[in-house]
Amino acid sequence: MGRVIGKRLFSIMALCAMVGLLLLPIVVALPSLALGEEATAGGAKKEGATVEKGRDVYYKTEGVVVGAPAPKTTDGPKDYPRYNFESRVLLWFANQQHLYYGSFVLAVPIFCMIIEFMGVVTKDKALAKRYDQLAYDFIKISLTAYSLTAVLGGILIFTFLTLYPAFFSYLSSVFRPVMHIYALMFVAESGTLYIYYYGWDKMKEGFLKWIHLSMSVVLNIIGTLLMFLANSWIGFMMSPAGVDEQGRYLGNIWHVIHTALWNPLNLHRILGNMAFGGGVVAAYAAYKFLAAKTDEDRAHYDWMGYIAMALGVAFLIPLPFAGYWLMREVYAYRQQMGITLMGGLLAWLFIIQATMIGILFLSTNYYLWQAMGRMRGAEKYQRYIKYLVFLLACGYMVFITPHTMVMTPAELKAMGGQQHPVLGNYGVMSAKNGGINVIITTTVLSFVWYMRGNKVSTVSWAKFGNIFMGVFFTCAYFNIIGLAVYGYYIPANVRVGLSVPQVTTTLSCLFFMFALNSMMMKGAKQMGPIEWGKISARSQYALIMLATAFTWMMGLMGYIRSSVRLFWHVNEIMRDNSPWAYTHTVGFAANMISANVLFFWISILFVFWLGSLTAKKAPAEVKVAVPGSVPQPVGSH
Amino acid sequence: MKILMSLGALVGALGLLLLGGMIFDVVPSNTVRLIEGYMPMQMLFEVGCYVLGFTGLSYMLNAMGLGIPRFWQGIGFWIFLMMYLKYRVYPPIPFSVRAMYGTVALVTVFMWVSANEEDWKKFKQPIMNVLDAQTGMNRLLRYMYLVLLPILIGGFSFNAMMPKSEEPIELRTVHPAPPASTKVHGKTYVLQTSQSPYRVNPEGKYDQEYSNANIVEQGMGRLMKPNANPWDEKNQGYLKYVREGGEIFFQNCHFCHGDNLNGRGLHAFAFNPIPANFTDPGTIAQLQETFIFWRVAKGGIGLPNEGFPWASVMPPWEQHLTVDEIWKVILFEYWHTGYYPRTWD
Repeated sequence: MGRVIGKRLFSIMALCAMVGLLLLPIVVALPSLALGEEATAGGAKKEGATVEKGRDVYYKTEGVVVGAPAPKTTDGPKDYPRYNFESRVLLWFANQQHLYYGSFVLAVPIFCMIIEFMGVVTKDKALAKRYDQLAYDFIKISLTAYSLTAVLGGILIFTFLTLYPAFFSYLSSVFRPVMHIYALMFVAESGTLYIYYYGWDKMKEGFLKWIHLSMSVVLNIIGTLLMFLANSWIGFMMSPAGVDEQGRYLGNIWHVIHTALWNPLNLHRILGNMAFGGGVVAAYAAYKFLAAKTDEDRAHYDWMGYIAMALGVAFLIPLPFAGYWLMREVYAYRQQMGITLMGGLLAWLFIIQATMIGILFLSTNYYLWQAMGRMRGAEKYQRYIKYLVFLLACGYMVFITPHTMVMTPAELKAMGGQQHPVLGNYGVMSAKNGGINVIITTTVLSFVWYMRGNKVSTVSWAKFGNIFMGVFFTCAYFNIIGLAVYGYYIPANVRVGLSVPQVTTTLSCLFFMFALNSMMMKGAKQMGPIEWGKISARSQYALIMLATAFTWMMGLMGYIRSSVRLFWHVNEIMRDNSPWAYTHTVGFAANMISANVLFFWISILFVFWLGSLTAKKAPAEVKVAVPGSVPQPVGSH
Repeated sequence: MKILMSLGALVGALGLLLLGGMIFDVVPSNTVRLIEGYMPMQMLFEVGCYVLGFTGLSYMLNAMGLGIPRFWQGIGFWIFLMMYLKYRVYPPIPFSVRAMYGTVALVTVFMWVSANEEDWKKFKQPIMNVLDAQTGMNRLLRYMYLVLLPILIGGFSFNAMMPKSEEPIELRTVHPAPPASTKVHGKTYVLQTSQSPYRVNPEGKYDQEYSNANIVEQGMGRLMKPNANPWDEKNQGYLKYVREGGEIFFQNCHFCHGDNLNGRGLHAFAFNPIPANFTDPGTIAQLQETFIFWRVAKGGIGLPNEGFPWASVMPPWEQHLTVDEIWKVILFEYWHTGYYPRTWD
């Protein structure tokens, strides 16, 4: 009894410590913020009548100038010291690797939280243990990755300091009031993560489990706030606010953080990180599945891959819509920035991005079709898969059709102009919205088929439900395609708004059809169990493809987002006068992204290997092998 | 079901015959015309009909005991699509786009034939048969592949590495990003916020909705709306300025951009690329009116760095037209094509 009370006390203290760690940066920062204000006020008083005011470049409000202007750099060792190498490429590499790992360690604890919660609320005890084990496996992987993220963060800062001192000095002067908050948040994140990880065994049951689960919530709040702060720097670089035309800080840190693109960037990155994290864990599971020696291991990693893929895809589905919002805000902020991105210099990179998005959805669908192979009764859907393939292929081809086609002058002449009269129509946004929504709706349909693969509905209204579902999906396709066609006949501002009903249609399919399917499958007759582990190797390659495509796309989009500033460090405020203030060729950028992806995957394999060393040291538990079922989870860690 | 499948088979067979005729130049590509305004959907519809037709054909052949093995179905469908894109769609599609479509088609065909174990086994059976070489024919085929495949790969490599005298491909930026503002005849115009002074209702007030309601109808024929004839002398406001813009257009622009504004004017084919086709939804329909104002005023010579390779011979019209004339001619272009300029709400 006393031991239980002791454990409870320990847990509550641990949770309090976490909350304390969460609040610590804010508490510590308050005096500094206040001092900063006092200092400003004091400074203003000393200068008396010579208080200089500036006008915010974005918010258009007036404020007292409290910062130095953005430095006017010149190409030389003072502003751009360098090795005998392109500094930008070094920075690109350090930044990208830090981002990969940062995304991974921010996403995985969110997965842990969801999976641990599923374990806590699941009534089936065996399943609850499996979820708990899975969540623990996830956090174990992320722990080593976390250290590597910190190391890469250090390397990134040193790279900034040594190669771009003038720029970094300016950026840190503008963000001075929150720089230490960021650092302290990192401390809080570390502390919380370690308590969460090492407290797993001590808080595995009852009330203590809920406390443990609460810790994951705190951990994720800190992680998300950290990311928001980091996003404010890139938001400022793209769409500066809170400074005047010379780049002088006007004393309102909220304006500096809350720039025009901050919110869409935040949303896009949360969803992107989650999808990426799911992809990486799925690839890990796929790798372990392919290397597994026993049926039990294969069953476990098959299940793990499925859960990770499902979580990743759940966040992938809304990702294009978040991206759409971001681009809309970019256009609203600066038209030329939007055109550079999607119609001009970087347009071809967007075609590559569309290709990658298509690969993600195609891989997901392929995986689901393969996964139906491990269910008895799913054969009835197999003959219709070719029609899904057709829909996906049509949507994909429209989605990747470039507006500016690559062609020889002879082809240009034969075509009779820059725009192809047939395919040119696919190269604009109206068609592309239709294309991607068809792809996503088809993915939803594949999911519905997968969910009902080995079941036969026993509800009295099953026939009506099936007809309703079929009619709903058919109407959805007609609505999406119809709106895409209608988009050519209306003004652009209305056309942009058409994406809303299209997205609503897709999401309606997702939510209503999932709900309807769940109701229909309640108490359904099972044709047989899901035979975990009895899935083709091709499905696992699809998962690896999914993860690689995620990684490559993240690298690509990061590059696009960064290079849209063209020759500015901070858009229209601080000019990049280094010799590398030009846009790389598409080929060079693609090679660089590929190198980053390769390095990340090699290094993450090392992380996985480290994780497997810990697993080997774990005490051997009795495992009850049940043919065709998943292995029983170990009892402790 | 059988009737439906028979119908499908008939459609599939006829479609294949038609495509075969186009490939061997017996039947012109435009025998079944691609209808302007409906072409993109027509193309998708046609491919959809082919797919349903092939399903019917496959069903009928299976019923007759003449089923085509899955291996040849997959390869056959991919070849069909490539042939369709090359010989059916006109004007010819550039190779780069066909290559993209071909890759997607290849991937999706693979997805189809390997979607389940049974299909995958069927698909790879002929390959496995050749590799196992249990019969004389398969053994012969295996030796042939052993010799032919390296030669083929070598040939491709040689062809790829061989210096060529063809013109290099161009990655042209058709719509380079405009500057934030542009100076024309001494006045600075902010492109994000400027508006056409002539997009006004009869009372002289800026009225986007009024002008939008009076443009010609899109689709076949591009017909004028009732009571919206700019050449009616009584008209005031927007329609009056459209008429004046039209006069300027036909005095200055139509020689290149054509009297239908489709980029096929008298001098058009002296240039490569030919002048912009305003009737295409990828040109002025995608842009703000101020973007067009900037491009007309500054011409090809005023393209920014991003506009590489600056393949435009359009003169900087600010040297020949007044600001008012430029706005009016743009007004006419939108009116005539039936497109609305991009706006931000």
